[in-house]
Amino acid sequence: MKDKLIPLAIVGHFVSFVAIVLVLAWYWQNYLATPKQPIEFPHYIHASNLNLDCQYCHQYASKSRYATVPAVKVCVDCHETTATDRPEVQKLLEYWKNKEPIPWVKVHTRFREHANVGFRHKPHIRAGVDCTVCHGQVEMMTTARQTRTMDMGFCVQCHRANQAPTDCWTCHQ
Amino acid sequence: MKRRDFLKVLGMASSATLLSSCGVEKGTEKLIPYLIPPEDGIVPGLAHYISSTCTECPANCGVSVKVMEKLPKEKNGKLQRQNSPIKLEGLEGHPVNDGALCLRGQSSIMRLYHPDRFRQPMKKMGEGAFAPISWDTAFAEITKALKNSNKKHVYLSGQTTGSLKVLFNEFSKATGVEVAPHYEKIAHANLRKGYRETIGVDDIPQYDVEAADVLVTFGADILETFISPVNFIKQITHAKEKGHFRWYHLEPHASLTGFKANKRFTIKTGSEPYVLSFLIHHLTANNLVRNRLPQNILDQIPDVSANQAAEKSGLSVKALNKLATALSGAKHPMVISGGVSLGNANGLLTASLTALLQWTLGLIGESIRFDAGEGFDGVGSENDMAELRNQLNNGAVGVVFLARTNPVGQLTDGELFGKALGKADLVVAISDLPNETTAVADIVLPLSHALESWGDAQPRKNILNVIQPTLEPLYDTRSEGDILLTLIALMRGQQPNLTYQEWLFARWKELLGSDAAVDEFLKKGYAQLPAQRETLRLNAAAAASLLKKASLNAPAGGSVLFAVPSLRMYDGRSKQLPLTPELPDPLTTITYGSWISVSDEWAQELGVKDKDEVSFSINNQQFKFPVKVQPGLNGHVATVHMDQIPANVLSRDAATGEVLAVINNVKLEKTGAQVKIPILAGSMEEGEKREIFPETYEDLEKELSHHNEVKATLYPEHHHPEYRWGMVIDLEKCVGCSACVAACYIENNVPMVGEEEHLKGREMSWIRIEPFYGEDPDKEMHFTVMLCQQCENAPCESVCPVFATMHNDEGLNVMAYNRCVGTRYCHNNCPYKVRRFNWFPPEWPETMERMLNPDVYVRNGGVMEKCTFCYHRIRAARDVAKDEKRKIRDGEVVPACAQTCPAEAITFGNLLDEQARVTQLAHSDRSFRALESMGVEPGVYYLRKEEIKDEEA
Repeated sequence: MKDKLIPLAIVGHFVSFVAIVLVLAWYWQNYLATPKQPIEFPHYIHASNLNLDCQYCHQYASKSRYATVPAVKVCVDCHETTATDRPEVQKLLEYWKNKEPIPWVKVHTRFREHANVGFRHKPHIRAGVDCTVCHGQVEMMTTARQTRTMDMGFCVQCHRANQAPTDCWTCHQ
Repeated sequence: MKRRDFLKVLGMASSATLLSSCGVEKGTEKLIPYLIPPEDGIVPGLAHYISSTCTECPANCGVSVKVMEKLPKEKNGKLQRQNSPIKLEGLEGHPVNDGALCLRGQSSIMRLYHPDRFRQPMKKMGEGAFAPISWDTAFAEITKALKNSNKKHVYLSGQTTGSLKVLFNEFSKATGVEVAPHYEKIAHANLRKGYRETIGVDDIPQYDVEAADVLVTFGADILETFISPVNFIKQITHAKEKGHFRWYHLEPHASLTGFKANKRFTIKTGSEPYVLSFLIHHLTANNLVRNRLPQNILDQIPDVSANQAAEKSGLSVKALNKLATALSGAKHPMVISGGVSLGNANGLLTASLTALLQWTLGLIGESIRFDAGEGFDGVGSENDMAELRNQLNNGAVGVVFLARTNPVGQLTDGELFGKALGKADLVVAISDLPNETTAVADIVLPLSHALESWGDAQPRKNILNVIQPTLEPLYDTRSEGDILLTLIALMRGQQPNLTYQEWLFARWKELLGSDAAVDEFLKKGYAQLPAQRETLRLNAAAAASLLKKASLNAPAGGSVLFAVPSLRMYDGRSKQLPLTPELPDPLTTITYGSWISVSDEWAQELGVKDKDEVSFSINNQQFKFPVKVQPGLNGHVATVHMDQIPANVLSRDAATGEVLAVINNVKLEKTGAQVKIPILAGSMEEGEKREIFPETYEDLEKELSHHNEVKATLYPEHHHPEYRWGMVIDLEKCVGCSACVAACYIENNVPMVGEEEHLKGREMSWIRIEPFYGEDPDKEMHFTVMLCQQCENAPCESVCPVFATMHNDEGLNVMAYNRCVGTRYCHNNCPYKVRRFNWFPPEWPETMERMLNPDVYVRNGGVMEKCTFCYHRIRAARDVAKDEKRKIRDGEVVPACAQTCPAEAITFGNLLDEQARVTQLAHSDRSFRALESMGVEPGVYYLRKEEIKDEEA
C-alpha cells in the first residue's frame, strides 16, 4: 500500500495541475472570449477610422445607468446610403426592413449575476473616466470583447486611486 | 479496471463536473436595441411618470404612474423592449388626494399583473367550464341575442362617472339596452335618501372638513373607507395644522377613525336620532342656529331632553352638553353621519336628522357642497337590484351585461340573484378577474386594466381625471368604452371603426375647448370643470312627512355584531390583490385569515382570550371565528370585517335599500378550540408583545428624563461630511392607515411570504404600524410607525461577523446583501426588531415579475434585509444635484413611505442642515426618540401626540 502512495501523489499532483489549466482555459474562453454577434460590427472603422465619439452611438452613457446599444434607426440614418453593398450592412438593412431589433449578444455579463452590483455609467462619465479604462481599446476591435476582469479588485483599485468612495454601499445595493 | 484507466476516468469526470457546474451562459443574454430612439424625456434606466386615475374604489384619486423600461422579454416569438408601470403614486396637486394614496391604491397595481386575469373572451361550455373564443365570435353572439329577442336588455355596472357614463346613454339609445342604476355594495343608500328627502339632491356632497374648527362625526369611518378616505385624512391633517381643531366621534363600535378623533364616544346602536334630535332642539331653543328650521319640521322632530338622550344613547348629560356647546361655539362647525350609524334600522332617520342639523347650522351649500358632489347620483341601492331580480325571474330580460361589478358575490341575496340570472337569455360579464358573477355568466369579456386603456373619471362633479394607457395591453383585452362602441356599430349594422380613444378625444375637445387644453389635461392629469352651483332649498313638506312616517326604533339592546367595511379590502373587492392580506390590519395587526373582534367585557364573560375560537349563528348559518379582544369596544359588541363573512348574512332595509351592517342578538359560544391566526404584534397574555414604546405617557416622561445620561461607546464616532439623513414621524398626524407599509412593499420589492410564514412570525415588511392602547383607549391610543431607526451607535453593526452591515458616512445602516451569510445576529441585537430575514428565496408569480422595481435588487434567500430610507431615491437626487454642481436640497429626497402618507406625518431630510424642516421638527419640544435611554442615537425622531386637557367629558 505504502509504495502506491507516492505514485498516487505524483499522479494526483498532475491531475490537479491539468484541472487548473482546464478551468483557466474555460474561464478565458467564456468570460473574455468574443461572443458571436448577429452582425460582425467593426468598431475600428467607426471609432478609429471615422473617429466617431463613443457616445454618438451609445448615447445614454452620460444620462443613465445604461450606456445602451444604439437604436437601429441610428445605424440606418447613415447606412441607408453608406456602404450598402457590404454583406454585413445588408444584414442591418434587412433587420430594419422587417422592423426587428438586432439581437446583440451581451459582452460584459460578469458582475450582474452574483454581487448585487448596480453599476451606473453616468457617474463615471461625469467624473471623466475614459471609456477605455473599463472597456479596453474598443476602437481597435471589430465586435467588442471583454478585456478587463471587471471584478471587485479592478473596481476598487481605480476607486482608491481616484479617491472615489469605497464604502460597500456605493456599489453593492 | 487498471489503475491508470481509473485515474483517467476520474480525471475526466471531475473536470467535466467542474466545467458543467460553472456553466454560465455567456452569449445567451441579449441586448435589444430600440428600433427608433424614444421620444424626448424618456431615458432608458430612468423612470418617467404618466398621470392617470386610481380605479380601485369610487374615490378615483389622481395618480402618477411610474413607468420604467424593463429588460426585453420574448413576445410573439420576437424579443421586444417593454414599458412597465411599476408603482402608483398620488398625483401632486390633485384636489382630491394631492400626492397621497391609500394602501389599496398602492396595492392596486397588482390587479394589472394579477396571474388570474382573463386573457381572452370566454364562453361557458356546460357547468363551470369556460372555453376561449375570439372577440368576433363573442360580439356576434351578443348582437344575435340582442336582435333576436324583443325582451328588454339591461346593462348593469359598478359606479361609473365621466365620459363612460355619457357613452352609456349613447349605447342605450343605439341598442335599446336599458342602463340600470349602478350597483355598489357600499352605496350609501340611506345617506343619499336623507338628502333627497330634505333638500332634494340624490348624491353625496363634498364635505369641507379642512375649514372646520369643530367636527362631529356619527359612525362615518372617514379615515378608512367612507367615500374618499385619502381626501379626508388630508383635510384632517390640514385642519389640525390650523390649531383649534376639535373632533368628536360617536360610534357604537370601535374603529380606527374613532381612535384618531380627539374624543371618541361609544353610543348605543341606533341611538343617533336621539342625540341629533336633542342637538337640533337644544340649539334652536337657545337661538344658536344660523337657519331656523320651519316649525312644521321642528314639530316632527321628537322633543328629546338631555336626560332622555343620555339615557337612550348611553352618553352622559355632560357629554351631550359638551357636544352642543362645541357646535354652537364653533365658527365653522361640521357634522357628518355615515357608515355603521346609517346601516341600522334608524339609519334613514339619522341621515335626515343629520341633513337637517347641517341645514340649521348653515353648512349646506357652504362647506357641504353638492355642486362638487361625489358622483353617486347614478348609483342605485339593493332595492333596485331586487327589482331587477324580479324582472329576471319573470323572464322579462333578454341580455344582461354585468360590467365591473359582482352582484352575485356581494348582494345580500346574491345567490338568488345568481339563480335569477339563469333566466336571462344571455349573461355577459365584463371583468378583469374571475369572481362569483363571472362564474354564472355565459360570456366573459376580458376587461383591460385602467393602466392599459384610455378613459376618464369624475371623482367629483367639478373635476375630470384622465385615464391614460401606460403600456400595451398584456393580453387580448379591451376597455369597456371600446366594447360599447363596437356593440353600437354592430347593432347599427356598421363596421366598428371608431376607437374609444378617438371618441374620448373628440369629447374632451368639446368639453375643454381646444386641443391645447386637452394636451394640458393629459399632462396635468385632471381638469377643473365649471361647477354648476344650484341654490338648494329645504323641502319642508317632504322632510316633515318623512319624519312623521319614520318610526323611531328603540336602540338595540342585547348583543350586537357589526359587519364593517375594512380598511384593507373595502367592500371585499381588494381581497383579490395579493398584497392586501399580507398587510396587517392596523387595529389588531392580524394579516391572513378571519377573526371576530370582541369587547374585553364580553371576552371575560365568555372566558376567551385572543385566538380562542367562538361559534355563533346568523340566519341558521353556523360560523366559527377566532377571537381578538379589541380595546375600546364596550358591552356586548363585536365586529367582523365585511369581507370575512358571506354577504347573505346581512340583510337589506326594505324601505331604503341600505345594507344593514348590524346583526342583533348574536350569541357567541366558546368552542374550546384555539385557532392559529397571525397576530403580528404577538399576544399580551403570552408576554410576546413587542413593546417598543412605553405604555403610558408617565413612562414616556421617565424615558425622556434619561436624555442627558453619559453614553459610552467602544467605537469611534462616525463622521458625516455632508449629510446625516433623518426622519421625523408625527404621531399626532399619523392615523395608522398603513399606506406607507404598502408603498414600501411595492417600492422595495419586499417579498410576500404568505400565511404560513406569518404564523411563524416571519413577516417581511420593512415598516410596520403598531397600535398602542392606553388604560382608557378612548383617550390614549396611538399608532407607532416602526422602521429601521438608522442608529448612530447601531447594535446590529457591531455583531455582524462578516461586516455585511455597516454605517455609511451619511448616517445610514446599510447592508451589503451579497456579503450577508445569514447568522441573524443583527436581528437578535436590534432593539426595534426591524430587520427581516429571507428564509426562502423570494418568489413572485411570473406575471408580477414585470412589476419589480429595477432600482432595487431583489435579495436572495438566507439574507437579512432592511429599510435604508429608500437609498435609491437619495442616489437619484444626488445624481441630479451633482449634475447641477450643488448639494441636495431640502425636500428633494422623499422616501416611498413619506411620499404616499395621506396624513403628511413623515418628514425626511438632512439633519446637518439647520434650515431643513426635518431638523426643525426634530428639535421641537414634542420630539423624542424610541428607547432613547439605550443610547443607540436613532436617526428617526417621533413627535409625541398632543395631549388635550379639556377633554374630560
